[in-house]
Amino acid sequence: MTKITTENYVAEARKAIKNQVLQRALADLQNRFGRGTAECYRQLPEGPDLRLKAHEIRMKTIENLDVVLETLAANILKNGGHVFFAKDSRAAVDYCLEVARRHQVRRVVKGKSMVSEEIDLNAALMDAGIEVSETDLGEYIIQLAGETPSHIIAPAIHKTRNDVGSLFAAKLDIPYEDDPPKLTWIARKALRQKFLAADMGTSGCNIACAETGHITTVSNEGNIRMSTTLPKVHMAFMGMERVAARLEDHDILLRLLCRGAAAQNMATYVSYIGGPRQADQVDGPQEFHLVILDNGRSRILADAEFREMLCCIRCAACLNVCPVYAKIGGHSYGYAYTGPVGAVVTPLLVGINRAKDLCLGETLCGACQEACAVNIDLPRMLLALRAKLAEGDPAWGVKPADRKEKLLWQAWSMMIRKRTVYDFVLRLAALVQKLMPQRDGMIRRLPPPVSGWTQGRDLRPLAKESFIQRWRKGF
Amino acid sequence: MGTANQKEFINRIKMALGKPFAESRQKADLFNSEMSAESRAILEHIKNRNAAERKKLLETLIEAAGPINLQVISCDDISAVTGAIAGLVRAKDPEWGDQKSVVAWAHPLVERLNLPAALSEQKVPMFVTGSKSTADEDLRQQVIDAYIGITSADFCMADTATLVMRARPGQARSVSLVPAIHIAVIKLDQIIADLKELFALLKWDPHERREGLTNCLTFVSGPSKTADIEATMVHGAHGPREVHLFVISA
Ligand code: SF4
Repeated sequence: MTKITTENYVAEARKAIKNQVLQRALADLQNRFGRGTAECYRQLPEGPDLRLKAHEIRMKTIENLDVVLETLAANILKNGGHVFFAKDSRAAVDYCLEVARRHQVRRVVKGKSMVSEEIDLNAALMDAGIEVSETDLGEYIIQLAGETPSHIIAPAIHKTRNDVGSLFAAKLDIPYEDDPPKLTWIARKALRQKFLAADMGTSGCNIACAETGHITTVSNEGNIRMSTTLPKVHMAFMGMERVAARLEDHDILLRLLCRGAAAQNMATYVSYIGGPRQADQVDGPQEFHLVILDNGRSRILADAEFREMLCCIRCAACLNVCPVYAKIGGHSYGYAYTGPVGAVVTPLLVGINRAKDLCLGETLCGACQEACAVNIDLPRMLLALRAKLAEGDPAWGVKPADRKEKLLWQAWSMMIRKRTVYDFVLRLAALVQKLMPQRDGMIRRLPPPVSGWTQGRDLRPLAKESFIQRWRKGF
Repeated sequence: MGTANQKEFINRIKMALGKPFAESRQKADLFNSEMSAESRAILEHIKNRNAAERKKLLETLIEAAGPINLQVISCDDISAVTGAIAGLVRAKDPEWGDQKSVVAWAHPLVERLNLPAALSEQKVPMFVTGSKSTADEDLRQQVIDAYIGITSADFCMADTATLVMRARPGQARSVSLVPAIHIAVIKLDQIIADLKELFALLKWDPHERREGLTNCLTFVSGPSKTADIEATMVHGAHGPREVHLFVISA
């Protein structure tokens, strides 16, 4: 389902802005989580600066990622698990299919995982004739509706209770119901059957722990615990950067993850999973597989300018404060990763030119960095991406995006460096602006190529006298 | 299957980091093999906790439990807990079907509750996940059929009202997950302050570190919840709808 549609950014954004339901839901989401998270950070005994410490921890791990991953893999093998290092999506998907074939898997239950969206696992499993059930309530709704998630933590925010009611009535063959608790319990019942019948459960990994050899899963619903406890095979996917070296590191990282993700001090369920059921245990999966995915991450790692992005723990706090995300919602970003994190990581993973609108669309206001659980300097990287788009960069295969824009800025910079030219242009503009359609003392429309400026707003005309003229006259 | 793959994968990372391939040396402090002064102090602090401090932790736990709808009941002796659980079994209706049955861990503290006797009055059967005589498949069915699951826990973190459970023989992971109601019973001295204390114990306490995290260490903070439909908070998305925690002081 996750086709890359970053090219449709503008069209999707337009659609989202017109969608009243979505606009209300987004505003509500940011009001609750954006503020809640900030408050949670303030109440930390160490204060919001704990995020800086977390950044340090993450960076140190990333800079020793070779050793850390080898340690993680060795420890998981020791506990009877399997580890597969996947260079790209294809390799990860193939491995999963191969294990599924070996176990004659017919039904898979999925715990939410960004990486499985990234590698488009659902499509591959379904092509192989395997039934895939999303189990996070939001994801389940989205899957029934045949859509893609619009928020990392709240995938179905764009659906009203009536939408969900009609959807359940149509797909589950039940009478219409629109009470959220009742709807939740309807899904609970339907999915319980899926959990009990599944042969394989998949999950992501929030932050693995190398020295003990565990992955972690975090959820409020319990769907991930179900998916990783009941089926006979557990297959976990992690981006290669989602690991911490030491157990102590998890104290800070887990606390910040829960606060950043949902303004909670602790999620309802956190599991450290380090291998299959042991000989003397009575439940848990018989096999545990961990797929560690590169898929373009080593390229990010190699570039000092963007390495910091690998500190990301996908908490989604940056989405909950971003003024752009608040308006255009998740679908506009056209890939598994949305909001500010998507605006940086998607271009780096799928191609900077291809996803150029994502980084051009953000405002550089800095709210994301302030909200970021690990204090990633997203604005700096947005700027760096824009610079690549302006100048081109063969190392990343970037072609300069818009020569006209560059020319315009060159002309501008020439103009403002010469007083005489500047004054002349100003006087000219004062004359020309009289030709523009005006209302209530505002310019309504500008001609191309600058017509975009007045698409959504009026422009104040130049004053009769410039500041410098008035200054000279001594006011 | 993995080794050739792994080598290539790790080499790509080394190259990206600008490290020579042969070098696999780490920064000395990447994994600390010695206990830090901080960890030592934490362990000391836990060991020397007095009765008043323990009571204080219980209060913190109760305070943190409120907002997440975890019911904490503090009892002076074990028979009071048995009575309270029998009361819950009587009062609560099963979620799926109409047969009442209960499933419990094989655990010394749970055994001391002497529940089978207390529940026989109500004719509610109790299954224990410890008996290796039961086939795993039958046991799975018992867990699925039960409407109440009874466990203990290794620790409880007061700060966030979080039960910490390790996977062990006889202590099935599904008991705290699949039944509609989860009842946990712990002793007062199992309450610790927070994650920092937990990780210090698991990593450095000579007794705890022998077992380590096991293959599945689970944290549970209150009942299952979701807010995925119009941001309305609902308990019982997939896990238990209710969690009752009994703390025995004596
Ligand atoms: S960039 Fe920061 S705030 Fe955004 S998802 Fe990643 S860690 Fe969370």
